[in-house]
Amino acid sequence: MAAATDRGGRKAGRLALLAAMGPGILTALAGNDAGGVATYSTAGATFGFGMLWTVPLMCLLLIVVQETSARMGCATGKGFASLIRERFGIRISAVAMLSLIVSNFAVTLSEFAGIASGMALFGVPTWASVPIAAITTWLLAVSGSYRHIEKILLAIGLVFVTYIVAGVMAHPDWGEALRCTLVPQASADPSYISLLVANVGTTISPYMIFMVASNVVEKNLDASDIPGQRADNVSGAIFAEIITWFIILTTGAVLFPAGILVNDAADAAQALVPLAGRYASAMFAAGLVGASFLAACVMPGITAGALCEAFGWERGINRRWQEAPVYYGTIALITLASAGLVLLPGADLFGIMMASQVINGVLLPVLLLCMVTIADDRHIMGEHANGRLWSGLTWFTIVAVIILTVVMFVFMALGY
Amino acid sequence: MIYLSQLVGNPVYDLNGERIGRVNDLGIATGEVFPRVTSLAVEGPGRTPFMISWRKYVDSFDESDVRLKVIATDIRFSYLQPDEVLIARDLLNKQIVDTRGARVVRVNDLKLSDTSSSQLRLLGAEVGVRGILRSLSPALELLVVRASRALGKPLPERIIAWNYMDLLDRDLSNVKLSVSHKTLDELHPADIADIIERLDPRLRGQVFAQLDEERAADAIAELEDDSMAAELMGDMDVTAASRLLSEMDPDDAAELVSELDYDKAEKLLRLMGVKERGAIRQLLGYREDTAGRIMTSEVVWLGEDATVGDAKQAIRSLDEAFESVHYVYLKDEEGRLSGVVSLRSIISFDDDAKLGDIAYDDLVCARPDDDQEDVALDIAKYNLLAMPVVDDERHLLGIVTVDDALDVLEEEHEEDLQIAGGGRGDADGRKGTSGLLWLLRNELWFFAWMVGLAALALLVGDGRRELVFALGAALPVAVIAALDSVSYTTNFFIENDPDDEDSPSLAGFALKGVGLGLVFAAFESLVAVGVLSALFGQDAGGVKAGQLAVLSFGAAAASVLASFLLAPVCLSVLRSRDEKGAETSGIALQLLAMAISVALFCAITLALVAGLGL
Repeated sequence: MAAATDRGGRKAGRLALLAAMGPGILTALAGNDAGGVATYSTAGATFGFGMLWTVPLMCLLLIVVQETSARMGCATGKGFASLIRERFGIRISAVAMLSLIVSNFAVTLSEFAGIASGMALFGVPTWASVPIAAITTWLLAVSGSYRHIEKILLAIGLVFVTYIVAGVMAHPDWGEALRCTLVPQASADPSYISLLVANVGTTISPYMIFMVASNVVEKNLDASDIPGQRADNVSGAIFAEIITWFIILTTGAVLFPAGILVNDAADAAQALVPLAGRYASAMFAAGLVGASFLAACVMPGITAGALCEAFGWERGINRRWQEAPVYYGTIALITLASAGLVLLPGADLFGIMMASQVINGVLLPVLLLCMVTIADDRHIMGEHANGRLWSGLTWFTIVAVIILTVVMFVFMALGY
Repeated sequence: MIYLSQLVGNPVYDLNGERIGRVNDLGIATGEVFPRVTSLAVEGPGRTPFMISWRKYVDSFDESDVRLKVIATDIRFSYLQPDEVLIARDLLNKQIVDTRGARVVRVNDLKLSDTSSSQLRLLGAEVGVRGILRSLSPALELLVVRASRALGKPLPERIIAWNYMDLLDRDLSNVKLSVSHKTLDELHPADIADIIERLDPRLRGQVFAQLDEERAADAIAELEDDSMAAELMGDMDVTAASRLLSEMDPDDAAELVSELDYDKAEKLLRLMGVKERGAIRQLLGYREDTAGRIMTSEVVWLGEDATVGDAKQAIRSLDEAFESVHYVYLKDEEGRLSGVVSLRSIISFDDDAKLGDIAYDDLVCARPDDDQEDVALDIAKYNLLAMPVVDDERHLLGIVTVDDALDVLEEEHEEDLQIAGGGRGDADGRKGTSGLLWLLRNELWFFAWMVGLAALALLVGDGRRELVFALGAALPVAVIAALDSVSYTTNFFIENDPDDEDSPSLAGFALKGVGLGLVFAAFESLVAVGVLSALFGQDAGGVKAGQLAVLSFGAAAASVLASFLLAPVCLSVLRSRDEKGAETSGIALQLLAMAISVALFCAITLALVAGLGL
């Protein structure tokens, strides 16, 4: 009997550990996918420590957005798409879903680009790696079996944690780094502005709002779970932003002084040379492929699920094809189209990864507007509606991203 | 004919043509099949909402505006009555259950019809694509409808009439549903279970709580996912949950209780009536997957002296919730099971006939610790509707009914399929991907081959990569033989029960496996050496590639033999996992077998290469 309890206890311990690596950390790690790494590497390589100041700010905003969507799920038991539909009706839902589809399509595109450039570092040509990845992710997504390998892929994605070690080994000027983190710097450089938009877009991606909320809903968490969710999200966001900070620090310390501009994955991998030497590119490639592959499995499913939830169609992998044609159709279409675009001859893979984050950033305000309206609404949220601070911070994000976007487009129109 | 989407937002004018606000919502009285619109909700100046009576004040309405019979100052406001529903607030955009189609849908628009000049009735909810298009823009709907008609596939409206809808979010709207309403409760429990499975978890609990106890008990027993049932049960409050358990058939209840965690289960059982608790506890006392676990103790059991009339009386007096009756069982003076009378005999014989005289006494019985699959197979074999379960003294403990037997057969079939590597449920082409998945599963050896080649290339080092293909030539033989040894083992496992006396022993199985492996390995290497000699000349000696290929086939033969040597180990693992009730996936077994064979092959090849100094 004693042995049995002992075994039970140990099992509970292991479960607790897994539970501690909850959805918050998961989502945060998923943020460091192909697009994320591309954006942060470019930021460090192009502007040195000049963008470090965005990290604490992004961390705060990330916490606000994640906490709000988890709270919405806990308070209402409904997914974000359902909430948008019931609060705003069909027209706004259509706009919101369109933004989500475009943004997720861009992200999926960037994931395939990430897989392609990661595999290219191993010597596998794009025309082989992308179709293989497309078919595999599609099969894993529609059969739901990606859950079996989720942890493995996440572990591979953890390679990016090594940026912390690489950053230390690069012997950066710590005082300068700290100063740059605390003192915001502005620049009227057009590429600085678009990089800022991309930075917001990759940190606070539209899909994240849907993913966090549906995670909570699936687990049937209620109002009593809000504090636990809060802790999970805060720790996840801080963890993710620490990695982000170190990526910018490392690339800023290694690539920026050397004048290397990041144009492809091989350039970005150079940042890991102080740590891994000649294995740097293999390590970077493994991380890039692992993180991108997982995101490419998940992303089409999230999009299709939200779309069907909003318009009341059957969804989920337990349905048959005939029962849920839109669900499966969307998954197939997104996977196929994004893989196809990456395969186009002459596609600039790293450019795709960056551009998709800009699209994310531009479309983010649409969904954030829906989110803040719902979260402020006492009829829907009851006593868990937004406080002034949270509401204000979300509005700040919305306004800031809109201004940045407008400035960016003005620069583009002026032909910079 | 008008749609809510065309009405909402239209301006409202009074008799003088003065604009007093815009249409916000419509209230309906819920008592009828096609409910009348009773009130008009208006958003007045300064966004103040108010409601007025439709019948008293509305003069005319169309797609552009609503005109009232009176001037603004003569209007008296009204309030929402308890039996009224605001259709834009409570129905539009909400999830409802289409109780005729037993599906969950979202309301995209509401269709209204004017039966007389000013009377408006709700025809139903539009749940199809046309409602979405119309709400986006009526012109868009027209365009798509025309286009689809031109293509020969007209796009029909999908309307659900009021009396076939059930609102899910009932505590939000607090709607009192009319008596004529066909609600969720009236569906077949299997359909209710189907609908519940498709809802978000929170809504699942809420809808479930709305069902009356008997429906809830039937529906929860019909849920396919046991853990979902346990979760629903876990979310209910304890008294309600224990009442629900008492309502269920004891065998279903026992199955559900065994899914719950220990504390919760104990708490629920303690709250139940003594009789029901006893029945469930008794069932739980038997091992899983035995006749005892799936039998029900609800049986009609009479003495041999009883008459047909007594039997009829006994059946009539049964509770409605009692398990359905197919047979009446008889006991002798010592309480032992002595015979069975079918319902048909009870109906055909006179009331004063003695049951003992018309009974059939050559009974097929099961023991409570018999394997459930054997019992189910016997029920099928002897064409029974139920099989009695007796203890050593032939006292009747309960019966296993044919519906439970069918469940058992289905369950065991799925388990076997899974171990055999067929995958669950996909085999019947349930998904479009099943064909591709099936093919991939069958061609797994190819991927193992590629992995093996990559591993060999890494191991031999950079200088001699060109040799890898010759070295890996025979790797598929080793991998496919490993897969075959797995299916050899799983087939044996499915067909033979270790508890059966006439099943072959483990040693016999092992010996046969080794024999098979030896013969095949020898045959394979001879054929390979023969063909290679013909290609490269005697002994294949002169050519390096030839030597390496011969070596490769030798390694494959060794690996084949090893795979079949490992078969008994695989069988023991399968059996011990089965004993513990753990499910084993065929794919995992195959992957493991392939990994072992690839590793063995690589090790042997490299050892030979090194040993022979090639």
